[in-house]
Amino acid sequence: MILVIGARSSGKRAYVESLGYAPEEIADGVLDEKPVLYNLQDLTLPDPEGAGALYDRLLEKQVVVCDEVGSGVIPIDKGQRLGREATGRLCCRLAAQAEQVVRLVCGIPQVIKG
Amino acid sequence: MKILLTGGSGCGKSSYAEKLVMKFPLPRWYVATMRSYGAESEAKIARHRAMRSTKGFETIESQTDVGAIDLSQGGTVLLECLCNLTANEMFDDEGNERDPYEKILRDVRRLASQADNLILVTNDVGSDGEAYSDSTLRYVDTLGRLNRAFAAEFDTVYELVCGIPLLVKGEEV
Repeated sequence: MILVIGARSSGKRAYVESLGYAPEEIADGVLDEKPVLYNLQDLTLPDPEGAGALYDRLLEKQVVVCDEVGSGVIPIDKGQRLGREATGRLCCRLAAQAEQVVRLVCGIPQVIKG
Repeated sequence: MKILLTGGSGCGKSSYAEKLVMKFPLPRWYVATMRSYGAESEAKIARHRAMRSTKGFETIESQTDVGAIDLSQGGTVLLECLCNLTANEMFDDEGNERDPYEKILRDVRRLASQADNLILVTNDVGSDGEAYSDSTLRYVDTLGRLNRAFAAEFDTVYELVCGIPLLVKGEEV
């Protein structure tokens, strides 16, 4: 599995397409049979307690794409705060298992693992 | 050696900090700055305590005034974290605010001068826009200035991303 991370609009989707994945192979915030899951944070932010349980199914993906959501002021709202934490912790676990971790900065891919 | 670790929430700063501390000999001191505000912070404190329990740390609770800590034995200090310390020094329980910049610089420098090694954990709080109260933006600015000051003084700076340490300054530890 390749984990692709970066800020919102940092070029993650274009990077995944540059790897050869067609738009119809990329699931947007839905866990289905497609090889690429894009916008993982759309699954974890609304349901922090369920985030950890996604782990096994995410390892079966070829590519998992997630926004980096932990930077910035810690939210006052508890749900938002837990959502950021849960997203970050899940990404730490995924990164530990991933063959490669790629971080997008201004559209430029940096391979930070593998 | 002085090391600064930064990164967002849930990026693995604490576990990497503890891994770094284990490279240094005893004694190992953990300076805990978090104020407990109920179940959520208690859970976080318990999680960090469990991570440290087998690693030979002595815990020093110090929510403010870290310059008053007596470290005459020396050793390696893990201070976690600058973001809590800054909030604690900046705002009191009645909501009064003061500029803690110079005091925190002084306090952390005094702590560092007694320690053989210092690992300081901070947070990247400046990366999500400016839709905050003036007081919160002053906090963001203060922590950003402190991060810059300590990064300039310290030997090594890492940014943690998904548990992966990215070297920003200095040499790998």
